[in-house]
Amino acid sequence: MSMAFDILLLVLLMVTALVVARTKDLLAAAIIFSAYSLVMSLLWQHRDAPDVAMTEAAVGAGITTVLFLVAIGRTARREK
Amino acid sequence: MKNAFVTALLVLMAIPLLIGVTALPPHGSADAPMHTHVSARYVERGEEEAGAANLVTGVLLNYRSLDTVGEVTVIFTALVAVLGVLISFPAAPKPPDAAGAAGTARATDHAAPTQPQVSPVVGFVVRLLAPFIALFTIYVIVHGHVSPGGGFQGGAILGGLFIALTTVLGENRTRCLLPRRGAPWMRGAALLAFVAAGVIGAVLTGYFLGYPAETNHLATELMLLGIEIGIGLGGAAIFATIFLQMEEE
Repeated sequence: MSMAFDILLLVLLMVTALVVARTKDLLAAAIIFSAYSLVMSLLWQHRDAPDVAMTEAAVGAGITTVLFLVAIGRTARREK
Repeated sequence: MKNAFVTALLVLMAIPLLIGVTALPPHGSADAPMHTHVSARYVERGEEEAGAANLVTGVLLNYRSLDTVGEVTVIFTALVAVLGVLISFPAAPKPPDAAGAAGTARATDHAAPTQPQVSPVVGFVVRLLAPFIALFTIYVIVHGHVSPGGGFQGGAILGGLFIALTTVLGENRTRCLLPRRGAPWMRGAALLAFVAAGVIGAVLTGYFLGYPAETNHLATELMLLGIEIGIGLGGAAIFATIFLQMEEE
């Protein structure tokens, strides 16, 4: 069960990472990157590292996404 | 041709990495190299030596406190650099036909602060959850040396709360949380708290950032608490400042 959960999370991690790299719409990429961070934080928690998991959830999924969104608002939404 | 070359290069890089992974000790194995050197000492004596039940906090704030001072300095330097870039390269000017209209709009903005337009769902959820998030932040920061969490995590959550409130209520109503006079002190709070704790430690034990963990447990707890609160407030103020500066214009 634990193994299956690990594999599910790792597959999700790879899929989100690939999608972020391929997406031309930066707004969508920022949101998917936040999902990537959330999966990563679950993975940290599953690896018995709650401190890192909390940091990842708060900084990676929260603050970084907001800063990306503000940056997109100041520049262009689509990758050239 | 180029793609084939890149793929071949990636495969060539992947082979040694995969070989390296197979040579790693199994997850959680007790005789892995990383469990047989200093970490054994941390696990055995960490709580009494470092004065923190959460070993991660013990390592961050006591055994490796100078590293953490450096980390806090890096965050502060990042703030200075980001502000420098944002101030020297302000947002691109509006197209000439809209410039006059934008100028007058900004002037009226200052005179009569308007509430930003957000979806009622977002507004309701943020207003409902804000006090609970604030309470959780205090718990994460203050309880950081006992349970998972601490200044960095709590500061990030507090900064996120500030950003959410600013989005819903508007900058004019959350400005008071980052007052003009106190804000510079809050941005430097992490470094200031560390230096203060370091000096107190020097007075009590004779070493900069030394903790009297084995002789004076209360003083150690208070020093750890002060540093955690400093890092929490400082981190939140830094996130909030970057957000506000990026939002301007």
